[in-house]
Amino acid sequence: MLSYLFKRIYSLIPVLFVVSVAIFLIVHITPGDPAAIILGMEATEEQIASLNEEMGLNEPIVKQYLLWVGGVLQGDFGQSYFMKEPVLDSILSHLGPTISLAILAEIVALIIAIPIGIFAAYRRGSFTDHTLMVATLLGMAVPSFLLGLLLMLSFGVYLQWLPIAGYKPLTEGLWTHLRYLILPALSLGAIQAALVARMTRSSMLEVLNKNYVKTARSKGVKEHKVITKHALRNAFLPILTVIGQSFGTLVTGAVVVETIFNLPGLGQLIINSIERRDFAVIQGIVLFVTLIYVFINLIVDLLYGVIDPRVRLERK
Amino acid sequence: MNRKFLGVVFLLALLALTAIGCSNNDSKAGKSDDNSSANVSYKDEINIAVTAQPPTLDSAMTVSQVALDIAGNIFETLYTLNEDYEPTPMLAESVDISDDGKTYTFKLREGILFHNGKEMTSEDVVASMNRWLEKSSRAKSLLENANFVAEDPYTVVLNLENAASDVLIIMASQANFPAIMPKEIIDSAPAEGVTEYIGTGPFQFEEWKQDQYIKLSKYDEYQAVDEEASGFAGKKEAFVEDVFYHFVTDHSTRIAGIQTGEYDIADNIPTESYEQLNSIDDIKVYTFVGGTLTMFFNTNEGVLADVNIRQAINAAFNMDEILLASFVNEELYSLDPSYMNPNQIQWASDAGKEYYNQADLEKAKTLLADAGYNGEEITLLTTQDYAEMYTATTVVQEQLRQLGLNVKIENYDFPTFLETKNDLSKWDIFITSNGYQLTPPQLLAVNPDWAGLNDANVAELLTQIRAADSPEEAKAKWDELQGYLYETLSSTVIGQYNSILATTDKLEGLEVFEAPIIWNTKVIE
Repeated sequence: MLSYLFKRIYSLIPVLFVVSVAIFLIVHITPGDPAAIILGMEATEEQIASLNEEMGLNEPIVKQYLLWVGGVLQGDFGQSYFMKEPVLDSILSHLGPTISLAILAEIVALIIAIPIGIFAAYRRGSFTDHTLMVATLLGMAVPSFLLGLLLMLSFGVYLQWLPIAGYKPLTEGLWTHLRYLILPALSLGAIQAALVARMTRSSMLEVLNKNYVKTARSKGVKEHKVITKHALRNAFLPILTVIGQSFGTLVTGAVVVETIFNLPGLGQLIINSIERRDFAVIQGIVLFVTLIYVFINLIVDLLYGVIDPRVRLERK
Repeated sequence: MNRKFLGVVFLLALLALTAIGCSNNDSKAGKSDDNSSANVSYKDEINIAVTAQPPTLDSAMTVSQVALDIAGNIFETLYTLNEDYEPTPMLAESVDISDDGKTYTFKLREGILFHNGKEMTSEDVVASMNRWLEKSSRAKSLLENANFVAEDPYTVVLNLENAASDVLIIMASQANFPAIMPKEIIDSAPAEGVTEYIGTGPFQFEEWKQDQYIKLSKYDEYQAVDEEASGFAGKKEAFVEDVFYHFVTDHSTRIAGIQTGEYDIADNIPTESYEQLNSIDDIKVYTFVGGTLTMFFNTNEGVLADVNIRQAINAAFNMDEILLASFVNEELYSLDPSYMNPNQIQWASDAGKEYYNQADLEKAKTLLADAGYNGEEITLLTTQDYAEMYTATTVVQEQLRQLGLNVKIENYDFPTFLETKNDLSKWDIFITSNGYQLTPPQLLAVNPDWAGLNDANVAELLTQIRAADSPEEAKAKWDELQGYLYETLSSTVIGQYNSILATTDKLEGLEVFEAPIIWNTKVIE
């Protein structure tokens, strides 16, 4: 088990190396100048040049890369030109909203998706099954920003039940924290729910025809136990993969929803940083997000073993 | 069991939908009741939604409008502008100008305390003003080799190399304004700008949450001048304890926030939402002078380096058509050839109007044939980050195509746009919306750095404007210069536009001058 873990972490090194080179090049080759953005539209070329000099952007690109990687290896992601604080601080301060949102959205997705998926599989071919599957198709097709704006209009502007935008940290109370996240979580969760529901259905369908399910039924096990204990657990591996992927997407890709609901998360940070040409932050986030993605995949792999003893045995 | 669950979900959804229908009516009825009550109580905070997080609040370092609007609450200047755009004393008491116009002696107000409790004296003013002369691109180009020295604790002297008629106006302009701050802050400031924001204004800096908000709070020791409030000048009184400037990039979120009362003021409302907001009862919409939409031509490289071709295509432009497409509603723009604010009596000018908005396709075709255009490609550079600039560019493309020109659009994000603009081989025309300037030398249209304008006559006329003995003489020179700009067509004004601001109907005493003015504003509970 431990050696497996090490192997996985070891395999991270080339991934991170390739990502770091790629993102560094992309960021530095893209036209646009951080100094010009900081100084504004009317700055003179001379001012821009001198600020670039101060920020070390006039050095040869290889030297800049080595300096950056050297810093990263020591845990120093560099300094944000625009926000004038260490990149790691920026990332960590923007991580809270994103993680909260991702967890809440995933909960929303699972609460909707798993029952729907199971039920649709159970009633396979029925009218309910078809209706539910059409609904999930719709769910996947509706863009999150549209759903977000509709939710904002109905629950924020008309009903005024929930705030339309903004963010309050957990330290101001759980309910205050959640109030600001419900609408974005719904708009993100609905789409993930559609994905997970479809996966649950097809995975369950496969399992429900297996002999052990028939055996369980014929020996008189109660139907809900057959479904939850015998069928769902066996069907869960592919579902878990989808959940892992969807969580990865939620952590890293909530850009649009974060912008609409004005959540100061990682998605907004990366968009803002691109507009500001804040190189160090863009690089830092991409590396960070790569790490998160790989980490989530690792956890999903480890969870396989927890759910399915056969996976554990094979590894030994 | 599953069926029950689904049933509950369905019912909930239905309930939500009916509730939407009902509560809409309820809230309207509730609001009309509130208005009739006589006892008004006020809130102690005001929430303002702005478009983006500013790079810094160090006013000398930036021309970002958001930064200057926020910083204007914290910092004050020796002179500021009243609503007629006249320089009016704020931290200075008076000024004495020597006969040769090269020495300005400012008397400072006494007993003014900074937010850190220290009294403002001439050493702070001298440090602040000299730093401004060094850091501000405006000050650097307009007040070359000037410097401030302290004469006594409450007197500072400005020494100039050349006399100029616009010194006080430059010192009072909002762009790059010279904030007065304590000397220690300046001494310890890093090169990219001060990080501690300590001024003398009615609000003090409290907190900056990255990508969320800037919070200011009322400064209890603030000492207002005893004059009627007017523009940025006069009496300032803080009626709220806390001011939040929220950074809300998405404009539909800003608008929704005004509707729910989450924000009291939202700036930069897109023109296409103007009519929608105007039709909502409890929202107030302000339009105020925004700036000029200006088209710049590449006079150095490419086919437009030939003035005859520039004059030919200029004859074709229908400015009304461009403005209507860009600003949607006729109330939001006006046709006027003035480079300067048409409301500013000193500089408004219609010189060169015979070249403006000709919309004469036949004349243009004749001129173009004479000039010898051979189907060379013309590149329009633009950015979709500013909707009005992009829309105007597409209309210009269409008008030039009708003239038979071979025109393509290069569209980038804003940072790339700025960088590409500096490379004169990459574009022939670009359009930008620019806020008004207070004096002609500040105009981008006469700035060689902006679009590569390289014309000795322009520089000469600018010098004459600044050295003029009287406002009338300066105005005559500016008329001459504006006429010259239209003849040589390094650029042309497309028209004047208004900016839009939306507020709830809960604000009392809000004045809009260049920006919403937060002091003297009350928020009804």
